[in-house]
Amino acid sequence: MQKLRSSALVAAVLAIVALAAACGSSGSSSSGSGGAAASNDKALNGAGSTLVAPLIAQWAPDYNTKAGVTITYGPVGSGGGIDAITSRTVDFGASDAPLSSDQATACKGCVQIPWALAATVVTYNVSGVPNKLKLTGDVVAKIFNGDITSWNDPAIKSLNPGVNLPGTHITPVYRSDGSGDSFVFSSYLSAVSPDWKSNVGASTQPSFPAGQGAEKNSGVAAAVQSTDGAIGYVAVSYIAADSLDEALIQNAAGNYPEPSTDAISAAAGAVTGIQPDGSIPLVNPPASAADAYPLSTYSYAIVPKQSPKAAALKKFFTYAVTDGQSFGPDLGFPALPSSVVTHDKQVIASITS
Amino acid sequence: MATETPTQRIPLSGHRRTRYGDLALRGITGLASVVLGLLMVALVYEVAHEAWPSIQEFGASFLTGTEWNAVTDVYGARDLIWGTLITSLGALLIAVPMSIAIGVFLSELAPRAIRTPVTMLVELLAAIPSVVLGLWGILVMGPFVAQHIEPFIINHFGWIPFLDGYPSNQGLFMAILVLTIMVVPIVASVSRELFTSVPSDLKQGSLALGATRWEMVRSVMIPQVSGGLVAAVMLGFGRAIGEAIAVTQVIGGSNTRPDNIWGPADTMASRIAAQYAGSPTALSKASLAYLAVILLVFSLIVNLTAQLIAARLQRQMRGAA
Repeated sequence: MQKLRSSALVAAVLAIVALAAACGSSGSSSSGSGGAAASNDKALNGAGSTLVAPLIAQWAPDYNTKAGVTITYGPVGSGGGIDAITSRTVDFGASDAPLSSDQATACKGCVQIPWALAATVVTYNVSGVPNKLKLTGDVVAKIFNGDITSWNDPAIKSLNPGVNLPGTHITPVYRSDGSGDSFVFSSYLSAVSPDWKSNVGASTQPSFPAGQGAEKNSGVAAAVQSTDGAIGYVAVSYIAADSLDEALIQNAAGNYPEPSTDAISAAAGAVTGIQPDGSIPLVNPPASAADAYPLSTYSYAIVPKQSPKAAALKKFFTYAVTDGQSFGPDLGFPALPSSVVTHDKQVIASITS
Repeated sequence: MATETPTQRIPLSGHRRTRYGDLALRGITGLASVVLGLLMVALVYEVAHEAWPSIQEFGASFLTGTEWNAVTDVYGARDLIWGTLITSLGALLIAVPMSIAIGVFLSELAPRAIRTPVTMLVELLAAIPSVVLGLWGILVMGPFVAQHIEPFIINHFGWIPFLDGYPSNQGLFMAILVLTIMVVPIVASVSRELFTSVPSDLKQGSLALGATRWEMVRSVMIPQVSGGLVAAVMLGFGRAIGEAIAVTQVIGGSNTRPDNIWGPADTMASRIAAQYAGSPTALSKASLAYLAVILLVFSLIVNLTAQLIAARLQRQMRGAA
């Protein structure tokens, strides 16, 4: 009985604390002034996107020999990178999706620098079905909306004459964590399917109406590989790394380009408008670019406009968008268009200490 | 959780040196307890503070809302609470009988040559990191269960509600199985200890009165330790409610409630683990913290209930004796 009473007391105390927390909260977000590590100009810390990690892994040793600065990068995912730079525990973040308006507010004066070009690829695993199945954005939207549920659906059949499609149940697989790939994928579906746009919309964490979630690119790849009838989406580098089947998605011109560096470059070349927030949405490029890959995307470096390490950061970003681009094509990242490099240099110049 | 104060203090006595030792002992242990208490207070404060925007926005309707949508910025936890309860209770349903059986076997029936290694194995199972269990769930258990066990159950017992549908590598059933594996060693090792602690004259006495082994287990051993067993089960329940990583890996993080136990769903802890980093809106982050508040309240209730039941059973036992 004694024990019970004291437990109840503890519960009451905790409840009061919770209440105090509620009252004390005046809307001001906590932390933010953590101060980035040591203000040592010979070392830069970054975190974020796993997609650009292979590219940064090439940059780091090269830049170290050229400039004597050590780059440390934690591939914790785009969302983790945004959180890290928002709390200033790193010197720069990296994300495959541009900051949402809430994230931009929380980040307090961050700028985003498009520094790599990549793509999201639709992958599937259906036993008896060959690689490079053809799909349209509308059909993919219907699949992920739960409207098309078997692989021998007439809508898929008519796009792939001559392919023997089994009646396997379709299991859509999406990212359960916040993801740049989810953003690209749902933005694309919103662009091509009015139904998707009104029912689901575009986000790094859209509320998928059907299917199952998996964590990170590796989780989606594993779930697709281990489930007969699964369809999912991953960053382009995972297709080759895990030898996954890729679906060819019809672009606005009616072609089915593979996600090659040329096709991604074609998309980047066709879209020149830069949004006020510094992002460049690449999905569903206009039909004038006949061979453009429809799910192309920029990956962004995110950095506070005012940083104690401004000088070192400016030098590193300048390197990344110029000399650093030469490492890209071998890893599947096409070089940035010159107009974007010019824009990036302007943004980099605006960073102050 | 139980922060009991000693009801009786032993007065300091003896030589000076030992008295300093006593002082140091009291100081260090007291400090550790105070730090823990402060930590708990700070934790509750921080979580509630972060959840406040969501609590203000949704209030109690958060508990019944079904949507979790970062695009429209509307959040509701009903399906996540449901998922947490179904997976935890489902795991207990399998794990408790199994654990008690293991406890009885190891304390009463197993020959010495088997007893020690099996006891060690059970305790080793508790030490496996949950992320490893989750990986094993994805790579080994998931495909096996989805290809062999689920089709069998669906074909033969599909007429039972919730047991129909399609086999799935990821979903409620997988989460229940993984949680079972995590709960069994906890409940099993506690119940083994409990059964070993039953005085042997009680056991011998009932056997001498002509009871069979089974009757002895059922009518002497289990009632004797029922309070402790309840506490052990609650310990397992708390573990299952809060487990995030392994569940995230196998439950399939769905936004909707599945029609059957094979389909993907999600739990509160798993949703927090999957989406807290980089949640796209301020309200989505606050809503995840709101989930954490609900989880905290849940575990508090589980704890209090366990103590209530254990206390009542103990009193009954004392009354019966």
